[in-house]
Amino acid sequence: MIYELFLILPMMLIVLGALMLMLLSHREAPLNRNMLSVLILALAFGLTLSRLGEAHSVFVFEAIFGRSFIVDSFSTLFDLMILGGAMLTLLINHDYFKSRHYFDGDFFALVLFAVFGMMALSHAHELISAFISLEIASLSIYALVGYNSDNPKSREAMMKYVVLGSLAGALFMLGLALIYGATGSTELGAIAAHIAAHPQDAHTMLIIGGFFVMVTLFFKIGAVPFHAWVVDVYHGAPLPVTMLMASTFKIALFAVILRIYLGDFAALGDFWSLPLQILCVLTLIGGSFLALSQSNIKRMLAGSSVVHAGYMLIALNAITLGNFNASESILFYLMSYFISSVGAFGILSFLAAHEHKQLTFEDFKGFGYSHPYLAAMMSIFMLSLAGFPSTIGFLGKFYIFTGAIEAGQIALAALGIFVAFVSIFYYFRLIATMYFYDTPKTEQHFGFDTTTVLILLMAILSIWGGIGTALLPYLPTPDALIELSRHAITSLD
Amino acid sequence: MDTVLSWIIFMPLLGMALGGVLRASLNLLRLLAFGSSLLVLALALALAWHFDADAGMQFVMIAPWIKSYGVTYYVGVDAFSLILVLIIALLMPLLYLYMYREARHGYWYLMMALQTGVMGAALSLDLMLFYLFWETMLLPVFIMIGRYGSNNHPFYAMKLLVMTVFGSMAMLLSILYMGYGFYAEHGFWSFALSDLAQDSHGALVAAGFLLAFAIKIPLPLFHTWMAGSYGSAPTPAVVIMSSVMAKLGAYGLWRFGFSLFEGSLHHFEPYLIALALFGLLFFALHAVMERDLRRMFAYSSGSHLSLIALGIMIQNHYGLSGALYLIATHALASAGIFLMIGLIFARVRTLEIAQLGGIAQSAPKFAFFFAFFALCIAGVPGTGGFVAELLIIIGAFEYGLATGVLAATTILAAILFIFWMLQRVLFGPQSRQTEGFVDLGAREVAMLAPLVLLLLLSGIAPNLFTPLFEPSLALMLGGRP
Repeated sequence: MIYELFLILPMMLIVLGALMLMLLSHREAPLNRNMLSVLILALAFGLTLSRLGEAHSVFVFEAIFGRSFIVDSFSTLFDLMILGGAMLTLLINHDYFKSRHYFDGDFFALVLFAVFGMMALSHAHELISAFISLEIASLSIYALVGYNSDNPKSREAMMKYVVLGSLAGALFMLGLALIYGATGSTELGAIAAHIAAHPQDAHTMLIIGGFFVMVTLFFKIGAVPFHAWVVDVYHGAPLPVTMLMASTFKIALFAVILRIYLGDFAALGDFWSLPLQILCVLTLIGGSFLALSQSNIKRMLAGSSVVHAGYMLIALNAITLGNFNASESILFYLMSYFISSVGAFGILSFLAAHEHKQLTFEDFKGFGYSHPYLAAMMSIFMLSLAGFPSTIGFLGKFYIFTGAIEAGQIALAALGIFVAFVSIFYYFRLIATMYFYDTPKTEQHFGFDTTTVLILLMAILSIWGGIGTALLPYLPTPDALIELSRHAITSLD
Repeated sequence: MDTVLSWIIFMPLLGMALGGVLRASLNLLRLLAFGSSLLVLALALALAWHFDADAGMQFVMIAPWIKSYGVTYYVGVDAFSLILVLIIALLMPLLYLYMYREARHGYWYLMMALQTGVMGAALSLDLMLFYLFWETMLLPVFIMIGRYGSNNHPFYAMKLLVMTVFGSMAMLLSILYMGYGFYAEHGFWSFALSDLAQDSHGALVAAGFLLAFAIKIPLPLFHTWMAGSYGSAPTPAVVIMSSVMAKLGAYGLWRFGFSLFEGSLHHFEPYLIALALFGLLFFALHAVMERDLRRMFAYSSGSHLSLIALGIMIQNHYGLSGALYLIATHALASAGIFLMIGLIFARVRTLEIAQLGGIAQSAPKFAFFFAFFALCIAGVPGTGGFVAELLIIIGAFEYGLATGVLAATTILAAILFIFWMLQRVLFGPQSRQTEGFVDLGAREVAMLAPLVLLLLLSGIAPNLFTPLFEPSLALMLGGRP
């Protein structure tokens, strides 16, 4: 009992912190709410970190919740990624929060609620609780997207996201009902047992239900053809929220996708494979077109996030074909994408905080001369996102493509590599814009503060993750990350 | 002694990092660049001194990098890579001498990064490591063209990047596929060249590599980036592209073609030879028609690289040793000529041949050096270029009469455009631009003299150099003639 309480303590901390922030939100006296929420997240992070490496698999409060919430090494790693991601997102936007008036106490309470929903998502072992967690996270994010209510773009983005997101949520419910009808349970273990006990061709309703569930999840990660909202919402939302959605929320979604695919639906891999391949091809190609056609950096990054989802779908497809090793590559890719995209968005938010730019490609002309250090770091992030070797993004792609080839999907791997080649164009376009044009502006230097130090840290991580070798003792290497992921996956079997 | 290659690779990067951390002033930066390049030169010479021509791969260093996929940091040197190492190590200080007055800090940083990139590509024996250096060496060139170039440079920088990355992505796919094939066969992952060479690989896998090298060299049909990029790049970048990076393409053809694709290369052999012969003539004709001096020598460089590719693909003793010899001498000669073209541009601000002329009247030293390098490229007896071309032509005749005749006659085209160019640039009446053309200064002579000496030496006494690679060639060709 006490032990189980201890296991869910991080989640409780987040909820309590969110409630506290809400109660404090109308306090007159100045209060650094950003730092307060970071502190709460850090506490939860520390608690979770102490459990890293333990391979337990406990259903918490089984008497009350049934088998709907699980704590295992898989969820522990995802908790760490989500908490760390949210923490970094808040910290790196430190300057941005100060520069905008509309970030009041409620904002941070909502962020914490969203984080709670994401964590619960990674623990969910039952479809209804998964749905509830998903909606907790989504509802908070709907509100966050429209938070800058003075900006019509932000309002439009929220409206778009709410309408489409609710529709997607309804599909989840429909799928869930079908699955329940077919198997008599919504608990993942029971569904898996049902699949195992019946012949392969007796699962029509279950498969249709599973498709509906998947549609919702793919909608949330922005896979084509469910991507219509991505660019507008990412663009309209305040930068910190965009970062949260692009990186942390995606991590949480892949937690539940992986749990479903590696868990109960694994036996039906053959049925998923073909639709997933089609989705994969569409996402990779559609996302590339989306990213190629943008003139605003934020929109370009939004479009390219679709492509990155596509890379992870390649690995997901390898999983359905029986190469369970590919799940490690998804975890690694999530981390690598997180590091480079948070860095890139961080620079955007830093600039938006200090210079109030529109952040189009035009604005970055001569950036390499007016801001040499920021430009160098931006180049590193672009290289990493493009998967240029010697950055962490390359290793992420390396694992994914190797996994696909291992699963016999050479054509998909080739398409992935081709799309990576196309991505060179739009990422290098920014590098070219930064360095190839003169600027009348003089060189500007910024001191070290929270934001710049964190951007620097992300840049170092991007490089270290790409070339860090086993040569230097006592320092974690990309190998260690992959080991960690491997350990996490073991608890799913 | 194990780490000497790593020092050679990473010394410039160290200099660059030091400069960045210290926020180096221009003088310090220059000192770092010269210091690192001279140290590398000293190490490379020591390496050549201790090199054992009969021993194959030497000074090997292996360290784990990505354990879960068996990727290693694996470097080593044999006769062929030694030639490239020496060329790079020699050229870099000369290039720094050329850009001595350069005040833009970024330029120096990029050059140091570039040296690490090309050196790493020449020395790595693990395919993933090779791919890493192969891609990263492109970046400094990309920024140098885009930033410091001329004539629509952002466009050509992007074109160069997109085309070469396309080739290397194809190579990446092949590498991954081979790595998986090795894993499926042997049960553990490895990307080391020596491991992968145990298996035989199909023609499609070879095609991925060939595409990367064909674009980098470039062979005709894959060359459309070349003239534009050469034409708009700043001089040091042109020298590196023509003398080092293009040679690295030929090196890749050799290194991987003969170890990994021994069998499947035969599929491509006739096509590649035809392409190389076509390239010889095609590029030479382009050079004849070209009005811009730098673009003309870009095409001339393409023509000679086709000759190198021909020498490699005919796969007999004469062809291969001729190709090796031509790689070295052409690297030196084209470095010389592109440096001098840079000097012309700095003096008269134009490279249009029609606006030049009569340089020899006011600048005799300049004319001597320029003519020497040009003749060396044309392969006039007494220069290293002659020896190399002769060897390849003999090899081509040995391969087949038609090939030999075609190779021998098309080489004459080089004579045509070189002599015509010399007449129009150096002699005749002076134009408005070339009036009072300033002759070479001491620094410029110091920069060009080592190249001239080496080229003369290699032309008059080839026996000084051939023992370096003859044993490896004999070993490689085994029973073949």
